[in-house]
Amino acid sequence: MSVPVSQMWTVATYVLGQRLRGNTRYPLVLMLEPLFRCNLACAGCGKIQYPGHVLRKHLSVEQCLAAVEECGAPMVSIPGGEPLMYPEIGRLVKELVARRKYVYLCTNAILLKEKLEAGLFTPSKYLSFSVHMDGLKQEHDEAVCRDGVFDQAVEGMKEALRRGFRVTTNTTLFDNASPIRMQMFFDEMMDLGVEGMMLSPGYSYSKAPDQEHFLRRQKTNELFSKMLENPKKRWKFNQSPLFLQFLMGKQDFECTPWGNPTYNLFGWQRPCYLLQEGYAPTFKELMETTRWEEYGRKSGNDKCQDCMVHCGHEPTAVNHTFTSWKGFRDTVAATVTGRL
Amino acid sequence: MSEEKSLEGWTPEISDAATLAEVVDRAFDYRGDVTVVLQDGRELIGYLFNRNRDVAEPFVQMFEREGSGPSSVPYARIRAIRFTGKDTAAGNSYAAWLRGKEAAKAASSPPGA
Ligand code: SF4
Ligand code: SF4
Repeated sequence: MSVPVSQMWTVATYVLGQRLRGNTRYPLVLMLEPLFRCNLACAGCGKIQYPGHVLRKHLSVEQCLAAVEECGAPMVSIPGGEPLMYPEIGRLVKELVARRKYVYLCTNAILLKEKLEAGLFTPSKYLSFSVHMDGLKQEHDEAVCRDGVFDQAVEGMKEALRRGFRVTTNTTLFDNASPIRMQMFFDEMMDLGVEGMMLSPGYSYSKAPDQEHFLRRQKTNELFSKMLENPKKRWKFNQSPLFLQFLMGKQDFECTPWGNPTYNLFGWQRPCYLLQEGYAPTFKELMETTRWEEYGRKSGNDKCQDCMVHCGHEPTAVNHTFTSWKGFRDTVAATVTGRL
Repeated sequence: MSEEKSLEGWTPEISDAATLAEVVDRAFDYRGDVTVVLQDGRELIGYLFNRNRDVAEPFVQMFEREGSGPSSVPYARIRAIRFTGKDTAAGNSYAAWLRGKEAAKAASSPPGA
């Protein structure tokens, strides 16, 4: 695992603090989407399929900061759309860092070099560029439906690393993923010098147009087991090892949909980052009025049966680490031995 | 792969409250602008992004095409909803992209290649 100790400490004390206060539902990562606009049009991406007048809108920095305060999560992930197209991304990140939030700026990195050269960001332990990389050059360019994007992203990552920024990758795996090619991809990313990699299986949800190429539960277990059964020591993952074990079928976790709440132009999204079943005007209302019992595998909800995605299950894994001896022991063992 | 037929151009008849709720749900799922016709004949054109029936006065929320903030409209004021805007999700699947790529490849290969 490659998460810095200070970040782990912040998360651990936050989780334990919530537990001591008797809270059982609390957010870990705010998914803050300041805009839906993007400079790519990846097939299967439901985030960008809106009329032009909606794509041209964005949240103000003040709206973003109010959401961050209201939510209180120690980490803020900024996906999109493409956050580097957000006109005030520099100011937003600066404000979040000043509030000591651990920020993951999720970008396709097409504009990364340009924005770094423009001096928009300052290196900080609180800021990580989380670059969307869906595999080696061929697979990535195919996944984002445009040739040449892999090379642009690598160039941006090199520039960020050269300037002393934290750089991680985020990868969504589809059913056509090859375990061997993915292992080659891990090698290539580590060669580049990234701090760690994040993986998640793709999953079909009601509004995503591509229902066929996302992974089903059993296929997910097979793919991740093959890919990670003998992980090289040098592969670093910027996520909970228990979540990776869950993807391999070695842990059984329920979803924690409130763990990564999503805020965007429409409000607080119910119930999770994937499903769009409605919006609440405030975080409090989201937490208090969403029928959480209708989500997750045990609920019997069809939409959740095959879902193993990061936004719903990694919070469960993190909570398991910090609230149970077994979870803590398994996490320490995986971290020390490098075995999953 | 089977792609669900787009609702673009659909002008459903709304005969009772149950149908209205169903049409609102379809409009909420629709990835294009709709035209909401009010009881007084006024028309609102925009993206319907939310609906809430779990409150005393059920309402929808939309971003009007010509306007800045979101507006709320009670169900009771809605006479009809027409699916007038382009469906931005239609034909944009990964499969459609692959089909296009294969077709382009075939078109650019010399005959017999
Ligand atoms: S880069 Fe991300 S937001 Fe943009 S189209 Fe691709 S998946 Fe969607
Ligand atoms: S299992 Fe959780 S993350 Fe997955 S679709 Fe259901 S609520 Fe969302």
